[in-house]
Amino acid sequence: MTDTHDFDRDDELRARLRAADPAASLGPADPERVARLLEDTMSHDTETQVPERRTGTRGRNPLTWLVAAAAVLVIGGVGVFTLTGSPDDDSAPPVAENGTGSSDGPEPVVISLRAPTGASGRCMVPNAEVLAQQQVAFAGTVDEISDGTVVLTPTTTYAGDEADRVEVVQPSEEMTQLIGAVDFQVGETYLVSATDGQVTVCGFSGPATPELEQLYTDAFGG
Amino acid sequence: MDDEVRRAEFEELARGLVEPLRRFLLRRTDPATADDVLADTLLVCWRRADQIPAEALPWAYGVARNCLANAERGERRQRRLAAKVASAGVPDVVPDPAEGSGDEAVTAALAALRPPDAELLRLWAWEQLGPGEIATVLGITPNAASIRLHRARQKLADELRKVDGRVGHEESREGRRP
Repeated sequence: MTDTHDFDRDDELRARLRAADPAASLGPADPERVARLLEDTMSHDTETQVPERRTGTRGRNPLTWLVAAAAVLVIGGVGVFTLTGSPDDDSAPPVAENGTGSSDGPEPVVISLRAPTGASGRCMVPNAEVLAQQQVAFAGTVDEISDGTVVLTPTTTYAGDEADRVEVVQPSEEMTQLIGAVDFQVGETYLVSATDGQVTVCGFSGPATPELEQLYTDAFGG
Repeated sequence: MDDEVRRAEFEELARGLVEPLRRFLLRRTDPATADDVLADTLLVCWRRADQIPAEALPWAYGVARNCLANAERGERRQRRLAAKVASAGVPDVVPDPAEGSGDEAVTAALAALRPPDAELLRLWAWEQLGPGEIATVLGITPNAASIRLHRARQKLADELRKVDGRVGHEESREGRRP
């Protein structure tokens, strides 16, 4: 406390930040507008996102069917994999590695993922309900691919810990062809989701197309 | 009948959410986008009314955050498209929400941080959230939120020392606005 600056005391830092709050001088919203806004909101149908609707196909985006058809073609009845985890799954959920917690070092937060290994199951139609259950989901650009590891820098985190870097063990070529594992290319942007450290396939992860972006938006509250 | 109950419940809840959500958005984007995203956010809340947790506000901030990210992605896409279509293009300048907010050292220091760090600090100081609530907004664990908040505070303090070192003595300390 003898230092000229006392920023280590949180209260002071918080107070100083608060003084820079651009909304500090903002008046309250016009009650009439709020009432109208709420009325507009509640005039919308609420049936479009019933959580129990697992097997239903009502209201599904036509593009989803396109993606599904593509996935079916890719699979061709040969490689069948499930998204919901293989039975011998004893791996822990991916957790961002950021050191010992209290250390102050600027080491980057890194999440490590891998392509799915052989497992029995079947591809399901990419849909927001299943996607929403994934532990990790992000948009990221591939910085480099070396020694079979793809390094991505996340630009948007939809689910899971925010990380500075995500490393994915590159899927083998036959996996890419068999089950639609992502064919990562340097400089391209991808939407990737994963559970238990395993990247989803069958069209749930892939290049950031507007259709896939829409699916991620639907799944993660956009 | 059920529908009426549902509407009444949502209306009561949403009335409490609108003002903080509006401020959350105005701190982070221009007024027009904030209006649009507020409507989007409320719509998502309405459609997910059954999933809203007891502590609704941090959850709703999380929804607003995603909606804002989507709006900004869409805007970027539109801008790219517009730039392709018309060489004149559209204005690229997005007004900085923090502009003219008094303590320029703080604004500069926040801008110097990594965006996720700056966002943590905004949630902490402007939305007045604790680590547990921040975790809900960002979809991370409370432990991770706590660690990152701690680090972000230290980084901000470091930045402030640097910035203050450069400009601090030119300004009168009493000049700070309330």
